[in-house]
Amino acid sequence: MSETSAVKERPEHLKHYFVDSDQQFDAAKMGMWVFLVTEILFFGGLFAAYIVYRSWYPELYLQASTELNTFWGTVNTAVLIGSSLTVAMAIRSAQLNQIKGLIINLWITISLAFIFMVIKFFEYTHKFEKGIFPGEYYTYEGIAHEKANIFFSIYYMMTGLHGVHVLIGIGLMIFLVVKAKKGAFSSAYYTPVEITGLYWHLVDVIWIFLFPLLYLID
Amino acid sequence: MATTDASNIKRLQVRRFKPDESPKEHYLNAEKGLWSWLTSVDHKRIGLMYLASIAFFFLLGGILALVLRTELLSPARSFIDADVYNQIFTLHGAIMIFFFLVPSVPAALGNFVLPLQLGAKDVAFPRLNLASFYIYTIGAIFTLIAIFTGGIDTGWTFYTPYSAETSTNVMMMTLGIFILGFSSILTGVNFIVTIHKMRAPGLTWNKLPLMLWALYATSIIQVLATPVLAITVLLLAMERALGIGIFDPALGGDPVLYQHFFWFYSHPAVYIMIVPGFGVISEVISTFSRKTVFGYWAIALSSLAIAFIGFLVWGHHMFTAGQSSLASMVFSFLTFLVGIPTGIKIFNWLATMYKGSIDMKTPMLYAMVFLFLFTIGGFTGIMLGALVVDIHLHDTYYVVAHFHYVMMGGMVMAFLAGIHYWWPKMFGKMYNEFWAKIACGIIFIGFNMTFLPQFIMGAQGMPRRYYNYIDQFQPFHQFSTAGSYVLGVGFLIMATYLIHSLLRGKKAGSNPWGSRALEWQTSSPAPHHNFEHTPVIVNGPYDYHKPMSEFQLGIAHSHNGHHEGEKVDVETGTAQEKA
Amino acid sequence: MSGHHISSAKFLWSVGSALFFLTFITVAVTWVQIPAPWNIVVAIGIAAVKATIVVAFFMNLWWDSKFNSMLFVMSIIFFLLLIGITLLDTLYRVDPTPAF
Repeated sequence: MSETSAVKERPEHLKHYFVDSDQQFDAAKMGMWVFLVTEILFFGGLFAAYIVYRSWYPELYLQASTELNTFWGTVNTAVLIGSSLTVAMAIRSAQLNQIKGLIINLWITISLAFIFMVIKFFEYTHKFEKGIFPGEYYTYEGIAHEKANIFFSIYYMMTGLHGVHVLIGIGLMIFLVVKAKKGAFSSAYYTPVEITGLYWHLVDVIWIFLFPLLYLID
Repeated sequence: MATTDASNIKRLQVRRFKPDESPKEHYLNAEKGLWSWLTSVDHKRIGLMYLASIAFFFLLGGILALVLRTELLSPARSFIDADVYNQIFTLHGAIMIFFFLVPSVPAALGNFVLPLQLGAKDVAFPRLNLASFYIYTIGAIFTLIAIFTGGIDTGWTFYTPYSAETSTNVMMMTLGIFILGFSSILTGVNFIVTIHKMRAPGLTWNKLPLMLWALYATSIIQVLATPVLAITVLLLAMERALGIGIFDPALGGDPVLYQHFFWFYSHPAVYIMIVPGFGVISEVISTFSRKTVFGYWAIALSSLAIAFIGFLVWGHHMFTAGQSSLASMVFSFLTFLVGIPTGIKIFNWLATMYKGSIDMKTPMLYAMVFLFLFTIGGFTGIMLGALVVDIHLHDTYYVVAHFHYVMMGGMVMAFLAGIHYWWPKMFGKMYNEFWAKIACGIIFIGFNMTFLPQFIMGAQGMPRRYYNYIDQFQPFHQFSTAGSYVLGVGFLIMATYLIHSLLRGKKAGSNPWGSRALEWQTSSPAPHHNFEHTPVIVNGPYDYHKPMSEFQLGIAHSHNGHHEGEKVDVETGTAQEKA
Repeated sequence: MSGHHISSAKFLWSVGSALFFLTFITVAVTWVQIPAPWNIVVAIGIAAVKATIVVAFFMNLWWDSKFNSMLFVMSIIFFLLLIGITLLDTLYRVDPTPAF
């Protein structure tokens, strides 16, 4: 795309401080990647706490992990990977100007994310029934380790923060559906879909690490 | 662009665009009314709003400091109680660091200058920029609420276990800091993308002004370090709310782990605070020596080196905390390393001045003050980094003096240099040079009066954050307090002549300092969209041996197509330049 | 045109299938008794492979500007520095024995 004269039409989505659509798209993508760097460091702090305490109390982690349901954890992993697939398909639909396909794939992704949260909800309530609460409210007697509450505090912080990010992702994608229905996206402009997709994939990647570290300590 | 070759070389028709010396329209009057300011996505206006906010917080933090110093005029109670004293020094630290220093150059000056120096029309994400400002404001409101509903008395470092147990309003404060962190992160994101993606034609990385290298390095630190602060205060908040016990020994936790997380951010944070100041100093010294900066790549890359090594030294705040001696030794060694790139800069700046044509205007005066005070601060930092020495000096006034020398003697002086340097570009007005120099002198004297005795006190054993002290320290404290009042006077004078400049100052031309930098090749105050043309860069940023006309080039036809084919009237004679 | 790589549906589905398969492996590996610390190494290793696949082929880093890849790699490096140096402290603490 070259600017031959000042009186060239600029597409509606192109901001005045960018030269062309490609520059704007690349800038948005780079900005999102920089933001994802911050998300990695944000969760990184929690992984650091996990690692420090696992190195100090390995038997605790072994025992406490048995309270986590491996089956439902695996299901949730598959659900999130599936949602990554469908959000990638959504972006592909936008790239091919198939707005109907975009909306359908977004809805599927939202549903899968919702299923993830429902499973999480049941996991949490099941634990609450047993008295496995975070922090000083922990009352479960079933684990013969005096520091059991530490494992679960870390568990709740990591999965809780991850869950908050899933909820934010659901909100963003619903917003995308609304905009897509109004015709905001096309193969020429689908930047918000692209960068929301990047965010969502990172949420999946974080769970890919959370799953074995929390559920599969054998 | 005029034509695009198949090869990588673009040919551009350029011509000279002389800036308008008396612009009728500029960014300050482009849109009128309070609402236009509050909803502005113009980086210049956002920069000014930040400037007003940080000035307010500097005033607040400064008043708190004066109260502290007045209380310390005599041992035991002078006029405030011990627990109020604890709250005041906590607030002084938290406000000065989080609400003044961290945003000062990046958000206030940086926002204003960065797109101008790049030749861009704005940052990459202007609406995100405005959001950053409002996030800062909301974080500030939470903090002010915390102050008025119980206060906080933990020290700005919020160490556990005390911060998890104290009845003061730690929750509100940590929430405020959490929110504020996002402001810092989003500014960093904006700057990194803008510098990568929105440079003017011809502005290759080796021609980037050192101010932008500094802002780039700072943004990298902001992006990597601030999230860890965010998770730290979140964990602290959860510790208070739910008693999760990660930092509580009674529940199996480790308070030193809190310190690891806290300082993983807070040490790089001090580099967030000082590296932009280094950028300002590079700009000011080259302009007022009318010479290219000595060792351009050394200074550019040393900013990145400081950014990187700065992440590896955080444990030097924890030598006496119960850290393993292995870790302490590693941290001490790395701390000595981080002084090297900083030292390189100081020598390069001195070499820049050598055989330069020095113009001792106010910004240059502040730069000289910076060189002197920051060197003292930096040296004493290295001394504290020596593990065995620190065992004696940790938590004494020696540390207090050290960080005030680097943060105030260094960063604040650099910030003031930047304010006085870019003032004409921001407001189109000059300030009274005589009073500016007087204020600088008073501030220099007051600063040394306040903080030099503190080195001696600290080495003799006066602990920091202490409300009470033994009689042998009273003369030091009194001298220090007198100095703090002198400092206050200096700043009062500054506020007076700056306000006078806004109301009745002499009009400034586009380039009162004769700088070659790009922001000076447009009118003062800056136009609404920064430049009326697309600037084209052909020279290095400090090529004072080249004529001014070569720094005012722009694409010939980008504005209205009428100048296609026109030859450029540059003294070197070439009509086409390689991009 | 930069940065607009379009993957075929077949490609995306095969990437997804690979990830599902690797998830199965992740769980299956726990049925085998691997001595510590290698069990952690294996678990993290498989997770890292899955994450790399997501980052390269779903997030399109494979076809994207090298700078974005560098950003991602840098974040991992700094994360490793955070835990590595913290462990230098937490793993090597020795309870002091008073000399008096």
